[in-house]
Amino acid sequence: MKSFLCFRWGRYADNLVRSYKYSPLTFLPLTLFEQFQRAANLYFLLMVVMQCVPVISSIPFYITIFPLLIVLSVRGLKDLANDMARRRSDSEINSRPCDVLDSQSFSRAQWKDVCVGDVLRIHKDQVIPADLLLLCSSEPHSLCYVETADIDGESNLKFRQALSATHNQMTSHPSEETLAAFDGVVLCEEPNNRLYTFRGQMHWRGESLLLDNEHILLRGTVLRNTEFAYGLTIYTGADSKILRNCGKLRVKRTRMERVFNQVVIGIVLSVLLAALLLAIGAGVFSSWVMSHTGPTSALVINGNPVYTGFLIFWSYIILLSPAMPISLYISFEVIHTVHSLFIGWDMEMYWQQADRPAQARNTSLNEELGQVGYLLSDKTGTLTQNRLLFRQCCIAGEVYGDASGKAEDTEPMDLSWNPFSCGGLFMSAPSLVQKLRGQQCPISCQFLRALSVCHTVMAEWKEEAPVYQAASPDEEALVGAARELGWVFLSRTRDFIVVSELGVTRDHRRRMSVLVREPEGGLKLYCKGADLVILERLQKDCLHQERTERALELFSQACLRTLCVAVRSVPEASWEQWSKTLDQSATMVTSDRDALLEKLYDQMEIDLQLIGVTAIEDRLQEGVPETIALLQQAGLKVWVLTGDKKETAVNIGYSCKLLDPDTRLLEWQELRQILQSPDPGVTFFKARQTELWAVDKQTAEVKTALVLTGPELAEFDQRPEWGATFMRLAEQCQSVLCCRVTPGQKADIVSLVRKHTRSVTMSIGDGANDVNMIKTAHVGVGLAGVEGGQAVQNADFALSQFRFLQRLLLVHGRWSYRRISFFLRYFLFKTCGFALVHIWFGFFNGFSAQSLYETWFIGLYSVFYTAFPVMCLAFFEQDVNAESSLKWPELYRSGQRQELSTYDFQTMAVTVAMAATFTANVEISLITRYWTRLNVAAVCVSVVMFFICSRITHSTRLFKASPMDYLFLGASDRAFIDPLVWLTALLTTWTAVLPSMTALAINVILNMQDKHKVHSASSQPVELRSRLRRGASLRRSSYALSQGAGPGRLISSGTCIRSTVPTVDEQVAADNNSTDSQLQINMKNNSDAPNHA
Amino acid sequence: MVKEEKEIANRPDNTAFTQQRLPAWQPMLSAGIVIPGFVLIGLAFIGIGVALFVTSRSITVLEIDYTGVEKDSPCYKCSDADVKNCVCNLVFSIDSLFEGPVFFYYGLSNYFQNYRKYAASKDDDQLSGDLDAFTAPSDSCSPYDYNSNDKPIVPCGAIANSMFNDTFKLYRVVNGAKKLVPLDGKGIAWWTDYNVKYRNPSVTPLKNAFNNTVKPIFWPKPAYQLDASDPANNGFINQDFLVWMRRAALPDFRKLYRRITEGDYAKGLPAGNYSLTIAYNYPVLSFDGTKKVVFSNVSWMGGKNEFLGIAYLVVGSLCVLMSIVMLIVYAKFKFPEED
Repeated sequence: MKSFLCFRWGRYADNLVRSYKYSPLTFLPLTLFEQFQRAANLYFLLMVVMQCVPVISSIPFYITIFPLLIVLSVRGLKDLANDMARRRSDSEINSRPCDVLDSQSFSRAQWKDVCVGDVLRIHKDQVIPADLLLLCSSEPHSLCYVETADIDGESNLKFRQALSATHNQMTSHPSEETLAAFDGVVLCEEPNNRLYTFRGQMHWRGESLLLDNEHILLRGTVLRNTEFAYGLTIYTGADSKILRNCGKLRVKRTRMERVFNQVVIGIVLSVLLAALLLAIGAGVFSSWVMSHTGPTSALVINGNPVYTGFLIFWSYIILLSPAMPISLYISFEVIHTVHSLFIGWDMEMYWQQADRPAQARNTSLNEELGQVGYLLSDKTGTLTQNRLLFRQCCIAGEVYGDASGKAEDTEPMDLSWNPFSCGGLFMSAPSLVQKLRGQQCPISCQFLRALSVCHTVMAEWKEEAPVYQAASPDEEALVGAARELGWVFLSRTRDFIVVSELGVTRDHRRRMSVLVREPEGGLKLYCKGADLVILERLQKDCLHQERTERALELFSQACLRTLCVAVRSVPEASWEQWSKTLDQSATMVTSDRDALLEKLYDQMEIDLQLIGVTAIEDRLQEGVPETIALLQQAGLKVWVLTGDKKETAVNIGYSCKLLDPDTRLLEWQELRQILQSPDPGVTFFKARQTELWAVDKQTAEVKTALVLTGPELAEFDQRPEWGATFMRLAEQCQSVLCCRVTPGQKADIVSLVRKHTRSVTMSIGDGANDVNMIKTAHVGVGLAGVEGGQAVQNADFALSQFRFLQRLLLVHGRWSYRRISFFLRYFLFKTCGFALVHIWFGFFNGFSAQSLYETWFIGLYSVFYTAFPVMCLAFFEQDVNAESSLKWPELYRSGQRQELSTYDFQTMAVTVAMAATFTANVEISLITRYWTRLNVAAVCVSVVMFFICSRITHSTRLFKASPMDYLFLGASDRAFIDPLVWLTALLTTWTAVLPSMTALAINVILNMQDKHKVHSASSQPVELRSRLRRGASLRRSSYALSQGAGPGRLISSGTCIRSTVPTVDEQVAADNNSTDSQLQINMKNNSDAPNHA
Repeated sequence: MVKEEKEIANRPDNTAFTQQRLPAWQPMLSAGIVIPGFVLIGLAFIGIGVALFVTSRSITVLEIDYTGVEKDSPCYKCSDADVKNCVCNLVFSIDSLFEGPVFFYYGLSNYFQNYRKYAASKDDDQLSGDLDAFTAPSDSCSPYDYNSNDKPIVPCGAIANSMFNDTFKLYRVVNGAKKLVPLDGKGIAWWTDYNVKYRNPSVTPLKNAFNNTVKPIFWPKPAYQLDASDPANNGFINQDFLVWMRRAALPDFRKLYRRITEGDYAKGLPAGNYSLTIAYNYPVLSFDGTKKVVFSNVSWMGGKNEFLGIAYLVVGSLCVLMSIVMLIVYAKFKFPEED
């Protein structure tokens, strides 16, 4: 088989996934190489090397290599563990089973055994192991359905169809033989990452057939609704489209990290400068020593002060190197990981219904969560549930249902007469049901017929009930409502229900029509669409129009999404002529075909008769208004970016408390004037002031919100200078609503905010259309909602509910930010204070780079004596409302000049070390506001460690083992019993922490005042006014049509046929109560009849 | 059942740790705690400061510079580097009883024992009695490791070489007659230095260990002859040598020379005239240094240390002062309407 094909071994990647990086041999060199790319690690390696040079070595080399080794091995182990996990998941994927054609029959194989050229059999619900060329399937026309949720996040089914040539030749039974005999040659493009295009050619039996994306089954997609499909492997493993797409994630760096990098550079520069000055001092001192005969005169190296200074420079660089926080990077990573774990562990962010905890996908952005200034939110599925409920309708001017209460509180209607009813209708209108069952009202029947036929929904049969696959949740809600009321959409079959699509359902048409030949023989056009569009196409003097429009207004006020439904009887004569013209136009391949078709459709959609209006509730997610109010109180600017219409967006804005009832909406016309005026700020201010509706003149703050639409935003591209002005205005506004924006524009808005403010931006969204903005913002949050997983795949944080955002930001974000800033500052305090002492001591020892500390203390200080409490702080610190500023411990140098002179060097070293340890631990105790047992233990352990380790390193035993390394024999024994040492350490510690202590105390006193203010402010009663503005018409009609082309083409091509479709008889049975409403609508397929004759 | 379990498979653990609800003590700071706290700490520091200061004041210190820079100084003649074996007499009087035990220090200034090259200039192996290190001293001793004839110096290094070698004799002058005050030179070094860190090679007589070595250039006598009066006080465990080898932390320092604890002087030095005979050997003028002798008694807190007491007083007062400032700030904020 394989030899038939042009494919050769070795030219193609095998189907193994290798996401691991290391092998046992390469691990060490690779990890070292990676780690030494970090400046700090390299710096320390350099220090170690320098310390091996005896002339300049001021500290023995093992003191520096000790922390370096710890850092390297922790990091290395972490990488190794990750790599092992990757290996495990790789091997799990690689050993998944699949059926490979082996000469005459299919045999079980593993994914890793699949090679290019193999013919595979894929079963229903199986994941496709490689990119395949679909040869044929078990379904008619060799159609098959795939779910691409893992690739693009869209959960609706997509179809793929085999070439008719292969379909015709290979569907014979048994298929194994014909498949085995297949000897075509496939030429395909180089492996690439374009998921939606494919170009290739198949040469088979002398024919050359063109291949495109429709013939390809991609690795990672799942076969659905199809018994089995046969495919020829064309790309395997690393060549497959999905793996080509696994590009590197754009690494987002936090500001804190940037600050930190600057600090590191600053430290390096200061160390260099200090070393330089000290070296100059050393040179001067040396020349003084040279000119005076004394005990140290002979020690000036080579008798050359300049050379001595040069060497001293390097010695000081070594001696001051502990100022460089080497373990900071690794500590940062550990802290970030722990914070991310806390986010995942939080019960309050766990969504029981979907069994989904919150997830920090990017573990390095936690502290950014505490700094967010702008929240840019998607609307549908983010603020709203994207679970649409049919709540009300208006038929012939009569309003049914009541949407004032909660959907769950609606009294359920008795629908037991309907065998297809499966619940999910939250409308109580017994009168309507009565009318429908009693055949009293033909217009109601027409209304429901329209709902059940005019859509692009596909039905799938599961357990004797139709399950609807809709491209948009609106349609699903409408078709579902029709089903509940007895108009059951069962399936599309070529023979019985053929639906003519008037055009592909594109958003800009904002309507959709279908031509139906009724059982009686009449031809009807059913049309549904946005109110504005439908209303302008109505006949003159349409019945019920006035009452229907009133109903529209009513629905809009209740924040419901509305759709108008209209009908038209089409005369046979005009239909035939129109159909002919359509056939002609449809076959044209000119560029203006679409425009021509559009015109034709317009010709048909005239003189409509209004039947009614549907009202769908797009329910707000639980807790959205509260969350938004809270975030706004926290000082966040919440913007809404939506593809929806302005009216819908504004109403959602009101209902989710983003806008207050008295908020003034500033629309484009006004905004444009303001932007064009020479002094935008003043104009803006005036515009706000002159508002008559500003009821309370006392309230200085007039609330304003900007409302923009996509096309208006496009103007910003031409006027880049408006960006800054716009942002200045926006900063004074309560909110900004951007409607009708494309995914690209969403990202542009995020970039605009990023460019013109210094705030951290956060984007939140749930759909594939939000991916752009999620990636662009500093922090991207994906809601794991109805629209599938793509937003989550690209997000830094994944939540299940919008309201979890308040916890993520206000609790975890704030904690993380505080913990990490305190951590960073403390860390720098700790290391710099530690090293600074040497500069001070330099003035007393002739700038000779003499270390004040015992070498072991240097090695152990940062790891054992001070690391645990600060890590505990970074893990557990909570409720830090007092900001204690850390200052340089200049007072380290205090006193101790003449008076300590009876001290020998070693006692002084122990005293200073003790003070350093105490200071570090007292300082952390000051910062810690949340004392868990672990914190207490950590502080105690650190201090005790100091005493124990000092005793150990100063012990006789160690001295005897290696006199050169343990010079401080007996120093701590004596020092620890000397009251003067304790008193000095106490005084030094207290003096060192006094500045931060004072800052803390002053903060406490000042904060009291703030708290008092907050308290008194919140006690004022908040008056809620009607959220509707007087005199303003608030008609909202929205119509969510599917984003992409949807299955319209497929439906109209008539190939979407299920083998298990119930017959018409079943449909009759299904609706035995009202024969009139049976869907025995026999009609002619207009547009595609010639194509599929 | 299985399904139910599956449904909550991802449910986070509800433990105090994962939910960040570990029991914790959260110190609730308020002005009511902070200000009195500052006052209390301030008062405590002032208390300690007063105690230290008073203790320090009770300590009597007598310092006499004998560098001999001034012409009328008794040691002026000795300050000339060319004068060898010079002896000078320092006469001083004590008005009232100098309470004992009295410690007798010598002090040097502008002397950098903490200079890194100086500090490293010794061989610890040699000083712990390792005979291999006698024949081949460590590089760290350079240039005091070998003499010009390439003979190893023992003890090597700059510290040992620069050992202080002035000697003192204290006489009490009673009716014109000089009466020697006994000085106790035992136990003036650290116990660990004497017993652990510094060891003589186990060779008897000690002199043999020093065969084929030379004494430090600056020394008048080899290490095994440091104390002629007491054979046990020789070599590396000579008390004066140990005191010298324990480097000072700062360039102005004093080191213990003797204690005055014996006989009539156990209670202290009685009032009267004293004469200190100094064998002036150690040159300090070449590096602008000074030499002095210090008599001092000690308290529980060691020697006289007025700075620590004053520092405590200053810091304590600062705390109290700050608490007053805070009180004013607090009052201003709490009753802003009244202002």
